[in-house]
Amino acid sequence: MALYFGDLLPFSSLLLEGLWTALYITLVAMVAGSALGVFLYLGKVGPGKAVSIFCSCYIEAIRNTPLLVQLYLIYFALPALGINLEPIWAAVIGLTLNNAAYTAEIYRAGFESVPHGLREAGKALGMKNAQIVRYIVLLPATRNVFPALTNQLILLFLASSIGSIISLPELTNAIMSVSNTTYRTIEVLAVGGLLYLGVSALLSLASKRAETTLFRWAVGARV
Amino acid sequence: MTVIFVENLNKKFGPNHVLKGVDCHIREREVVCVIGPSGSGKSTFLRCMNGLESITSGSIVINKHRLDDSKTNINLVRQEAGMVFQHFNLFPHLKVIDNVMLAPLKVAKVNKDEARAKAEMLLAKVGLAEKMEAFPGSLSGGQMQRVAIARALAMDPKIMLFDEPTSALDPEIVGEVLTVMKDLANEGMTMVVVTHEMGFAREVADRVLFMDQGLIVEEGSPDEIFSSPRNARTQGFLSKVL
Ligand SMILES: Nc1ncnc2c1ncn2[C@@H]1O[C@H](COP(=O)(O)OP(=O)(O)OP(=O)(O)O)[C@@H](O)[C@H]1O
Ligand SMILES: [Mg+2]
Repeated sequence: MALYFGDLLPFSSLLLEGLWTALYITLVAMVAGSALGVFLYLGKVGPGKAVSIFCSCYIEAIRNTPLLVQLYLIYFALPALGINLEPIWAAVIGLTLNNAAYTAEIYRAGFESVPHGLREAGKALGMKNAQIVRYIVLLPATRNVFPALTNQLILLFLASSIGSIISLPELTNAIMSVSNTTYRTIEVLAVGGLLYLGVSALLSLASKRAETTLFRWAVGARV
Repeated sequence: MTVIFVENLNKKFGPNHVLKGVDCHIREREVVCVIGPSGSGKSTFLRCMNGLESITSGSIVINKHRLDDSKTNINLVRQEAGMVFQHFNLFPHLKVIDNVMLAPLKVAKVNKDEARAKAEMLLAKVGLAEKMEAFPGSLSGGQMQRVAIARALAMDPKIMLFDEPTSALDPEIVGEVLTVMKDLANEGMTMVVVTHEMGFAREVADRVLFMDQGLIVEEGSPDEIFSSPRNARTQGFLSKVL
C-alpha cells in the first residue's frame, strides 16, 4: 500500500485551523471548568447540607455518564427547550461542565492528601482555621493538585475531539472532512494523530518543567 | 506554683474508653516524663492538654485557662503550651526560618524584624543557624525535630508538650534532640514528655508517670520508678524495656 501525504498539502491550513479550534475550546473549558470546580469542591465540603448534596450529585452524575451523552443533551435536547447553541458554544459548555466535576475531585483528593499533622502543627501554634488553610495547607495542596490538573488538561484536549460529532470544525472534524475529500484516510489520520500527540507531549513536558520550578521545596519532602 | 491541673480526666473515642480518670498536677519548671505501653493513652493525655483532643469529662486547667470551658479561647492556651510531635510536622513549603517565624507573624502579630531576630536566635540555640534558608525536605530527622522545637519555642510558651519526640529518629541522631531538650529543662521550662527514652527520663525528669490502660498507675521520682517500682504492672513494663 502506497501512502501519498502530498495530497494533504492543500488542506494543511484546514487541519491547522481545526487544531487551533481544538486548543481554543480546550483552554476556555480548562479555565472556566477548573474555576467552576473550585466552587463545586467548596460547596461539597462546605457547611451547607443542601449545597453539599447538590454538588456531590452533580459531580457523580457527570463522572458516571459519557461525555458524548452530555454533549448530545446540550446540543440536541436544549433546543427542544428553546435554547439553540452554536456548535462551538455547545462544545465549550459541555467540556466546561464536564471538566468542573473532574477538577472538583482533583481538588478534594489534593487537599485530603495533605498530611493531617500539618494542620495539627498549625493548631498547636494557636493558628485559626482560616490561617491554617491559607498559610499551611494551600501550597502543599496545590502541589498535590498540579500534576493531576495538567493531566486533566491533556485529557480535555483529547476529549475536545468529540466536538466533531456536532459538526464543530475542530481537528477531528477537519481530519474527517479531508479524508472524505481526498480519500487519503490513513494519511490524514496519521497526520492528525501526530498533531494530537505533539500537542499532548508539549503540554506534558511543559507541566513537568513548571512543576519542578514551582515546587522546588517539595524535593525530598513528604507531601 | 502548679501550672497544670488535670482532674478526673476521661476521654472516650466512641465506645473506646481511653482515659479513665487521670489526675495529675504539674508545677512550674517541673519536667515530667510519661512512660507506659503502647495504647495506654499517653498521647491522648498529652493532646488533651492543648485541646487537640476534646475532653469527655473531668477538667484541665493550664495556666488558669479552663480547657473544659467553652468560653476559653483555645488558641491562647495553645500559644502558652507548645507541642512537639513524633513526626515533626514541619511545613514543607516554608524555609526553616519561615517555619519558625510563621506563628509569631500570624498569631502573635509581632513585626517581621523582631520575628526574624527571634527565629535566628532560636535556630542558633538548637544548632541550626546554617540551615535557616533550607527547606525541611533537605534536613535529616534530627535536624527537623530541632527545627520543630525552635518553632514551638518561638511563641514563648510557658509549657512544652513532647509526644515521643525521638521515636521516629535513627538511634544515632536521638542524642542531638535529647541534648536540646535537656538544655531546655535546665533553663527551667515546664515540660511534659511522653517518651520511650528511659535514659533521658532517668536523667532529666523530676517526676515519672507510668500510664497503663488509661490510668496513671504509678508515679514518683525517676529513682523510685526505675529502681524500686512498687506496682506489678510498672515492674512488668520496665523489665521489658530496660
Ligand atoms: N483519634 C482517635 N480515634 C479513635 N481512637 C483513638 C484516637 N486516638 C487514639 N485512639 C485510641 O486510644 C487509645 C490510646 O491511644 P494513644 O495514642 O493515646 O496511646 P499511646 O499510649 O500514645 O500509645 P503509643 O505508645 O503507641 O503512642 C488507643 O486504643 C487508640 O486506638
Ligand atoms: Mg502515642
